[in-house]
Amino acid sequence: MSSFRQPSILPGFGLTLGFSVFFLCALVLIPLAALVMKTATMGWDDFLNVLFDPRVLASFRLSFGASLLAATLNGIFGFVIAWTLVRYDFPGRKLIDALIDMPFALPTAVSGIALTAVFAENGWIGEHLAPFGIKVAYTWIGVVVALTLIGLPFVVRSIQPALVEVQRDLEDAAETLGAGRFTIFRRIILPTVTPALLTGFTMAFARGVGEYGSVIFIAGNLPMKTEIAPLLIVIKLEQFDYVGAAAIGFLMLVISFVMLLSINLLQTWGRRRHVAAGR
Amino acid sequence: MSITLDQVTKRYQGSPVVNDVSVDVGEGEFFVLLGPSGSGKSTLLRAIAGLTGVDHGRIALHGRDVTHISARQRGVGLVFQNYALFRHMTVGDNIEFALRVRRMKAADRLARRKELLRLVALEGMDDRLPTQLSGGQQQRVAVARALAHKPQVLLLDEPFGALDAKIREELRRTIRQVQRELNITTVLVTHDQEEAFALADRIGVMNLGRLLECGKPDELYARPATRFVATFLGAANLLLARQTAQGIRFGATPVNIRALEKIDGTREHEVVAVLRPEEIELAPTRDNLRVNYMGLGVVEEMVFTGALERLRVRLTNGAAEAQITPPGDAAASTAMLEVTRTQHEQRTFPVTLGQSVALGVRRIHVLPTPLSSYTVCATQKAAAERLASHPFLTELASRMKTRIATRTEPALAEGTDAETPISGVAVVTPGVDTAKQIEWLLRNGAAEVLVLPEQLLPPQRVLIHWANDAARRPTLAVAASLLRHVSAEAVYVGILPEGASDTQRPVGMRTLLDARSEAQAMHGLEMRTELRFGSAAEELRRQLNDAPDQMLILGISDLADLHQNFAALFSTPPPFALMVVYRPAGSSGANER
Repeated sequence: MSSFRQPSILPGFGLTLGFSVFFLCALVLIPLAALVMKTATMGWDDFLNVLFDPRVLASFRLSFGASLLAATLNGIFGFVIAWTLVRYDFPGRKLIDALIDMPFALPTAVSGIALTAVFAENGWIGEHLAPFGIKVAYTWIGVVVALTLIGLPFVVRSIQPALVEVQRDLEDAAETLGAGRFTIFRRIILPTVTPALLTGFTMAFARGVGEYGSVIFIAGNLPMKTEIAPLLIVIKLEQFDYVGAAAIGFLMLVISFVMLLSINLLQTWGRRRHVAAGR
Repeated sequence: MSITLDQVTKRYQGSPVVNDVSVDVGEGEFFVLLGPSGSGKSTLLRAIAGLTGVDHGRIALHGRDVTHISARQRGVGLVFQNYALFRHMTVGDNIEFALRVRRMKAADRLARRKELLRLVALEGMDDRLPTQLSGGQQQRVAVARALAHKPQVLLLDEPFGALDAKIREELRRTIRQVQRELNITTVLVTHDQEEAFALADRIGVMNLGRLLECGKPDELYARPATRFVATFLGAANLLLARQTAQGIRFGATPVNIRALEKIDGTREHEVVAVLRPEEIELAPTRDNLRVNYMGLGVVEEMVFTGALERLRVRLTNGAAEAQITPPGDAAASTAMLEVTRTQHEQRTFPVTLGQSVALGVRRIHVLPTPLSSYTVCATQKAAAERLASHPFLTELASRMKTRIATRTEPALAEGTDAETPISGVAVVTPGVDTAKQIEWLLRNGAAEVLVLPEQLLPPQRVLIHWANDAARRPTLAVAASLLRHVSAEAVYVGILPEGASDTQRPVGMRTLLDARSEAQAMHGLEMRTELRFGSAAEELRRQLNDAPDQMLILGISDLADLHQNFAALFSTPPPFALMVVYRPAGSSGANER
């Protein structure tokens, strides 16, 4: 143990490590292990049946697809919002800054109901979209909208501090060196912000995959069409099919873990590449 | 000329941060802009780079007007205090950035990169990331990067600010070397006078948005024209002295030394004398002095700084009456002199704390400024003291590093004369008989009178007018001196009588142009000009009523003018600040600048 110990002014390495391990076990590892064990009680055939159930596959496609799309949208517009908040001073800036966090605080069901009311065919926004044949509520688009809303703060809040770091001097320097606006954005600003952007993207994506409350109101929950994976788990639970629910949960766990890990690896690889280029 | 600035003005929220700056920087010259923080020097540099637009004026690089050309196309290299390196790029990529943007071939880029790295002595560092370099190395990279696209001028914004003393000196040498080798016109901004002396071919000193003086380092140090430059460039003791045909007098003590400058012998008057600490000699008694005696004193403070010994000596007689302004401390009433002595001087005459010494002076420089000190005059003591604490006046006095005296003159504006002549600028509050008061003060020795209403904000605009040609030079000198310490715009108002004939008009225009070029050439004062028609006093009054926060500087050579031509100005107590400059016709103004 002592060989891991880093010299530090603050004592209590043993204590803090103990707490960390305990908390992780009690709150993350043990429940997840229970999930895996529950899944293990079913046979391979049953497990594969659940897995290749077309309804399950459709729900996975929707959950991960919509989350990915929503996180991408947030990556773009979250960047714009963060840019506006960091770079410009305008009346109401503080207010908008505070509003960003609203999706954090609001019970997700409330945002779901509000979105449904607005985007339904007779809602404020829905009625203007209907003539163009665009239906938002009760379609996969509604799912994306809901996931975009709840993912936004993750992206904005991770990019903001990184953007503050991009000093004006850097842009001024690039400008005197002859770079145009687009070049400055692409070569100077974007590379500096990319790690933070990826982090925000990952968090928004992860949150989207697990989101339940806001989506079920706006999605309409049509099997094979607008049914998300978490909802399918709840349905299984209501039918007392605990093992089936556990199997879907386990699968989500694996997919999410793989995706998050790959994004993290991508980031590490990106950093390495810089350092490697520095050798 | 490599860089030409013509009347460059940049305002921020209405007030000028760069105020009418005109200067030419020659081919291959190393020009240092020196000034305290907030003096507008960095803003001026950014304006040259094209990163900040200007509100007025013209900027030309190598004869090409670039005032409205973006930073991208100006072809300047800029180095920042915090390096501003692109941290996600290697040293090589940083340097090649400007070349890549210009789509230069890889082989050419590489060759240029190697050449630049050799220039800043960083060979082989191509593949490092900026974070792997020390501060000094990072700044070298920044210099190399700024030079990559062969800019016409190199601009450096406090490039040594973030470095420690040793690295600073090393980098200073590198930059000077690079500059000489490439013979590139360079402008460096700094607040450090030592740095300016070490690097500059020429120094321009800025304060409050104005370029006060430009010159070679040694000339600026030896013969500053303004209090600010005298005290900002090295330490200086400022003393109020009387200048006579015989020489300079501190109180009753004549110092038998002639100032280096030509003396205006026709009129004994108060001047501001600059004594550099190293020009003062100490000796046990007056007879031991090898230079001109100026007084006796007591050593009050001693600091050993290695090569030099720094002393503070309190004067006990002689020049003690000269109301000395100690460096950096205008409010102190004591006559304290700062003295520095070399090792050799210390060995010849060692002193201890509290020791009485005789002081002599080797060299005195008299500032060519007409405004020496302020004397507030009122009929009652309380009123005089109240006026002496006027915010604008105290601000002005502290910026000019001079003192405000008060005088109770019961006879103000009455028939009887003052017992002793009033020296410097007399200050009064406006009243019903302002014109009479001004006349009385001017008759009693005051060269200028400042009329200051109690409610007055620092002026944003200063109007300048003189009654006739005889008053032109002194008025311009006073205006220039005042405007060095007030952040305001100067406007000369020329006024022709209503219905001026066609032959008079061109003459009026020429007067304006002459006034402007004289202000610029003799005083470095940039002023705008306006031509009006009508009665002078009414025209001026109308303009002054137009906007608040204005001031008028009025030059006259005949006291009767106050009651005749300019009577309309005083019909009601003036609500604006007014400076009346009076020089009787025939007096010489040789010393005025």
